[in-house]
Amino acid sequence: MLDPRFSSERPHVSRRGFLRLTGAGVAGGALVTMLDARKAPAQLKGTSLRILMWSHFVPAYDTWLDDFAKRWGEKTGVKVRMDHIPHLELPARYAAEFAAGAGHDLIYFVGQILTGQYYRNLVDLSDLAEGLAKKYGAWMPASKSAGQVGGAWYGVPDFFISIPVLWRKDLLESVGVNNPDTWDDLRKAARLLKPKGHPTGMQFSHCNDANHNWRSLLYCFGGKETDPSGQNLTLDSKETREALRFAKALYDEGMTPEVFSWDDASDNRYLASGVACWVHDAISAFRTTQDTNPKVFEQTYVLPEAKGPVARLNMGEPNVWAIWKFSKNVPAAKEFIQTIADHQKEAMEASRGYNMPFLKNQYTKPMPGLGGDAKLSALQEQDKITVFFGYPGPMTPAAQEVLTTFIVPDMFTRVARGADIEETMKWGMGETRRIYTKHKAG
Amino acid sequence: MSQIAAGGGPSPGAPATVAVGGRVRDISWWRTPTARRYLFGYTLLAPAVLYVALLVGIPFVFSLYLAVSDASVGVPVARFVGLENFKAALENSAFWTAVRNTVVFTLGAGIMKGLLGTALAFLLIQPFKGRRVVRALVVIPFTLPIAVSVLGWKWMFDSQFSVINWALSRLNLIGAYGSPEWPVWLGQPALALFSVMFVNVWRGFPFSAIVLMAGMTSIPPEIIDAGKVDGATFLQRFRKIIVPMIAPILFIGSAFDTVFTLSDLSIVYLLTNGGPDGATEILPTLAYNTGIKAGALGRGAAISLSLFPLLLPLMILLLRTLRRRQY
Amino acid sequence: MATVAVATPYRAPRTERAKSIRRHVLIYLGLVPFLALAVFPIFWMLVTALKQEPDLYRMDVVPFWFHLPPTWKNFDFLFHRTSYGDWIINTMAIAFWVSAITLLTAVPAGYALARLRLPFAENLGIGIFMTYLVPGIILFLPLARVVSTLELQDSWWSLVAVYPTITIPFCTWLLMGFFKTVPFEIEEAAMVDGCGQLGALLRVVLPVSWPGLITAVIFSFTLSMQDFLYALAFVSVSDQKPVPLGVATELIRGDVYFWGSLMAGALLVGVPVAIVYNLFLDKFISGITGAAIK
Repeated sequence: MLDPRFSSERPHVSRRGFLRLTGAGVAGGALVTMLDARKAPAQLKGTSLRILMWSHFVPAYDTWLDDFAKRWGEKTGVKVRMDHIPHLELPARYAAEFAAGAGHDLIYFVGQILTGQYYRNLVDLSDLAEGLAKKYGAWMPASKSAGQVGGAWYGVPDFFISIPVLWRKDLLESVGVNNPDTWDDLRKAARLLKPKGHPTGMQFSHCNDANHNWRSLLYCFGGKETDPSGQNLTLDSKETREALRFAKALYDEGMTPEVFSWDDASDNRYLASGVACWVHDAISAFRTTQDTNPKVFEQTYVLPEAKGPVARLNMGEPNVWAIWKFSKNVPAAKEFIQTIADHQKEAMEASRGYNMPFLKNQYTKPMPGLGGDAKLSALQEQDKITVFFGYPGPMTPAAQEVLTTFIVPDMFTRVARGADIEETMKWGMGETRRIYTKHKAG
Repeated sequence: MSQIAAGGGPSPGAPATVAVGGRVRDISWWRTPTARRYLFGYTLLAPAVLYVALLVGIPFVFSLYLAVSDASVGVPVARFVGLENFKAALENSAFWTAVRNTVVFTLGAGIMKGLLGTALAFLLIQPFKGRRVVRALVVIPFTLPIAVSVLGWKWMFDSQFSVINWALSRLNLIGAYGSPEWPVWLGQPALALFSVMFVNVWRGFPFSAIVLMAGMTSIPPEIIDAGKVDGATFLQRFRKIIVPMIAPILFIGSAFDTVFTLSDLSIVYLLTNGGPDGATEILPTLAYNTGIKAGALGRGAAISLSLFPLLLPLMILLLRTLRRRQY
Repeated sequence: MATVAVATPYRAPRTERAKSIRRHVLIYLGLVPFLALAVFPIFWMLVTALKQEPDLYRMDVVPFWFHLPPTWKNFDFLFHRTSYGDWIINTMAIAFWVSAITLLTAVPAGYALARLRLPFAENLGIGIFMTYLVPGIILFLPLARVVSTLELQDSWWSLVAVYPTITIPFCTWLLMGFFKTVPFEIEEAAMVDGCGQLGALLRVVLPVSWPGLITAVIFSFTLSMQDFLYALAFVSVSDQKPVPLGVATELIRGDVYFWGSLMAGALLVGVPVAIVYNLFLDKFISGITGAAIK
């Protein structure tokens, strides 16, 4: 049968086929009605719009999005072209487009929020963003720094990605850890299950997930990257050292050395292969396991985030729309952002629970994709514990560079490999300070 | 006619004395055969030189500018900061790790390719049945595009499903999955560096073999026979006769290969992206991550150009020496 | 080596055949590790390409063969759900045009440097190496500007414009070395017969150098298929991508690698190239020989 993972880049699916594919029959119908209801501005007819997106981790979402864009194009008379490239390659592409002064109209930042870097060349979208806040409730406070520079909005947040804990009920209960809630529970479970051939794993490498996982741990232990203003480094603290210590213990007791070679996909595979007792991974792993290993999936449950000694905080990955100033079709781009925001519910459904909204009212229950699922319903409260990189400061370009150079994962890696904590702190602070100094000067 | 076959003509600018139609006449330099030859030559050269000058030369100057400015990807015109970027690079421990890794990578892989290539070339110049087939098969690693073959290796080195580990552990050469003796090719620092070097060697040794084969077949058999007659053993023949004769091509091949390797980031980028805590970070990947991904163009440019002052004189020295050895 | 049979009266004479067999056996033995090294990954990629997905993620069975029956699904996916067909065509087209441009520029340049004793020829020869030291990761930014000025952005023609910067220097050097081996007499004879220098080049030198030309074409082909960064920067439209870019960007979705299709995609692009190499391998080798001797 049609494997939902194998999404089509060229949607040659009939409307009925599409609806069947996403299993969103009712939502699809509502989509069509809603699109009909909203009148598109007349001056968009005949223009063309080029959108650059990432390749969503849940392929079904891209299928939905491409189809959505096509229908929107038909409705408004705009010729839409949507291109997808892997999120890791987006920064290079943006650098090239900027250097060339030409490229796509509407672009998308995933994880690496480049608003602060490019804002001089992005269209001011304050009216759009404020409008959305009025319509759908306030923006999540933490999300503003993803789109704002100096009080004006140069990017409009779309959704964020949560990276919760996915755990195996059967395995954990077999060693007496029922309903794990804290990091200590997870550590205990890993310690008891590793000898039985079911260790855990978190990436100690240069990948996106490593940035997220270790920051979540860090924040849960009370570590802070900067002060709330984002200008002063506060990473050097007792709490950070506690987090590092914990990570080392967790590695020694509950993981195997293979985690040093892992990339973003490895923990998905670990879970799906039945080996992992728990992983700290996005819902895409949940869906992969659902599709490839139903037996394991049955036993897989979701914990929004483990609690540390200080807090329960989960680092989310924000996704942000932006429009190049050199775009020749700014009105159409703005219209598209507005329309997508208006259909956030369908988007959430299509993403099979992956996309988490930024706007307050989108959290009214039941949330599409999550509300109906017993295992995932706890994620409906995710906005309460979600923060972003740079916490508690905003997502400044300096914090962004710390992110892309993997300093935090490297610190954890060194400690796990046996380096002295003080040495590691010194190294990490040195690197981070250099970056912040440079950005202050510039 | 001998004007063309013999050495260079009179220098430009000086009026030339040419025998034309039996009478000696003074004509301007521009009409001499030498000048015509120069004109012809430079016209032939022009397309290539223009192409490269425009598309490589100008961007090179641009990258020099970037290296001494604080440009970032969003800010095209930036302030001049002198050698600030280079200083920052030198103070960054990641930079020195990358330099070390780059040197180890290039030298180690180069030596391996030389050794394997020589051994293979030696075997392939022997006449034997099926030689054509073998040659065709052995060239395959070189013919596959880097990106695709590297991804194949990534799967073969996978920490869980590596077929290499599976085979080795069944042969009891390494431990079982989960034990400390299960090598995590891309996760343990020394192994990771070895793995990326290995892929580079895997891709490159057929090419080395072919180049060396070419060199070996160009050695006149008489010289080798003379060696045999003189009673030299195989090893002595190899060392004293063959190696010196293939040395020039070995050097040139190595030079090109070094240069290609130094600027290639695909293997490391696709396999480990700098590896466990910088263990496989090489200068191109560090420059890419700093300059493009993190947006600090100035510093990225400085990092990527940092080997240039070292390599340029080395290359010139190497090539001049080689040229002199020819004659 | 076997050309000279030195008779040694001290040993019992052996038959030529026995010697030949012994030699063959030794050679084959020596070749086995090399062949295994070169070919095993290809075999492995082939097996992976034909495996069903759940079969890949099992650790308890022999991975060299199939446990679930082999399937064409991965190949099918390649051709029907991605633009792989377009990618192959693009790759071949790019390689063709890049080779053409390279020949048109590198052949005259190589000839000029090799034969015309121009001043600065030697330095230009060295300068050729230097172009490869210019960091590609910086190069692609100004080149992006060039590409967009030529309005080639997001078309594979942008790569045709850019790849010669990689192929021309190397092929110029190669052809330079090769042309040096062409005897002067041929050219002189042609010019005595009334061709100008250009005519001699076209009518006499080129035909004789055709192994060198083949070599240059093969290198252009190979070099133009290696690149990843330029393709990434200049082409984002799916059906304009060359194979390496397409495979790396569309068969890896974040944290899901479609290994089966990845391997299938890798192999399929290797086949035409391997065939081309095969056909011209001998010429290729003599081409390099020529360049090597200088």
